[in-house]
Amino acid sequence: MTTGILLRRRFGDNHRGRVLIAALVAFSALLLAGGVALSWRRDLPDPVATHWSGTGTPDGFMALGMFVGGMVGIGATLTAAFAVLAAARGQASSTRRTAIGSIVWLNAFLGIALLGSLWIQRDLDDARSTGGLGTVTALAIVAPLLPAVAAALLVPRDAPAPATGPVAADAPRAALGDAERAVWLGRASGGPGSVVAVGSIAVTTVLAVATQTWVMLTVPALLVLLLAAMLTFTVRVDATGLTVRSALGWPRTHLPADEVERADRAQVRAFAEFGGWGWRVGRGGRTGVVLRSGDALEVRQTNGRAFVVTVDGADQAAALLNTLADRSRTAPGGITGHQGDQA
Amino acid sequence: MIFRIDPASDQPLFEQLVTQVRVGIARGRLVHGERLPAARELADALEMNVHTVLRAYQVLRDEGLIDLRRGRGAIVTGRPEADLSAVEQAMTELIRAAKAAQLSPDATAALVKEAMR
Repeated sequence: MTTGILLRRRFGDNHRGRVLIAALVAFSALLLAGGVALSWRRDLPDPVATHWSGTGTPDGFMALGMFVGGMVGIGATLTAAFAVLAAARGQASSTRRTAIGSIVWLNAFLGIALLGSLWIQRDLDDARSTGGLGTVTALAIVAPLLPAVAAALLVPRDAPAPATGPVAADAPRAALGDAERAVWLGRASGGPGSVVAVGSIAVTTVLAVATQTWVMLTVPALLVLLLAAMLTFTVRVDATGLTVRSALGWPRTHLPADEVERADRAQVRAFAEFGGWGWRVGRGGRTGVVLRSGDALEVRQTNGRAFVVTVDGADQAAALLNTLADRSRTAPGGITGHQGDQA
Repeated sequence: MIFRIDPASDQPLFEQLVTQVRVGIARGRLVHGERLPAARELADALEMNVHTVLRAYQVLRDEGLIDLRRGRGAIVTGRPEADLSAVEQAMTELIRAAKAAQLSPDATAALVKEAMR
């Protein structure tokens, strides 16, 4: 509590302070789990089992203190990494949401894995007789999903931030009559990411079946959902701005026309700039739907945000978005009220 | 691809959409097998009635340019015209003459339509 108040005073009511508070709360939960684990010392074998082979028997052992320290250390490192990501590149609320959700999931995963793997060793004389870890692993993966999503949703959306200046003069424009309405529709789909995803789904399914740890089928099941959500996106530029929506309906995002500073066709390198495929956070805090390398629509927004989506025909989309953004400046509240010129 | 409508034009809105798809197919911008946007999405984005878009799609289907199937949307079945360069060339001339005569695009199109009947 006190920490929260102090942090708020230090950072003001801004997003960096909130990320730090969330990270500290999540990491404290892992520290608590570590404390509980140490309090079980007398009931646990020494050393404890800390690694399990594919067949479900333990094959790695460690002193309890080392195990707890290792798990807490991993948690601290990853929490710090995501917190830095959110603080340094978190101009867009989607980035902060992802970072906070990941922090909560990671710490809960490590805490459950730690306590769960020790729980099944309580009252054993020799850790070698410990049973399989399948249920614990599945629980550790699935149980933190709900609090992680809840924490992510607690991060407020970006407040409306209409641009105060005009759209960049050197940005491309589309020829559009005064009364004319226009929409650009495109599709981003497939790409190398889907091959990687299908491969991972196949491998994890085969592993779960081969080792007969059926609960581990939750991993490919979650990957199928992820693949379905990231496989195809529709991209739409209209009077309201840019809308990018997964074929499943989620995830989706909307960039209001009056927050667009400029739109361009850009060249994107998926792996070098975004570290992979899907809904990404890239260098400099750019967010984007990156399904392949190459042509992309890049939109610079107010508050230093930038969004990228890899589509064909991005030059046309950029030109139309700039033109419609122009219009949002001259006609606040929409484009109604235009009179057709009958000259 | 861009779809546009001009409420100030004399041409009905559904016809404006029909023309764009027709031209898109003729020029090869819309290829065989490509899916047109869902009628509701197009209507929503262009702030027009969904029935207007559906009417345009029905006209295109009757012309054999698209295939309408429940649940699958509108699929382009038309093929691009072999070679439009002669038409394009003649059109440049026509447009120059029409502008010199201060004819509006709608009036010019109407003249062409009349002559081709």
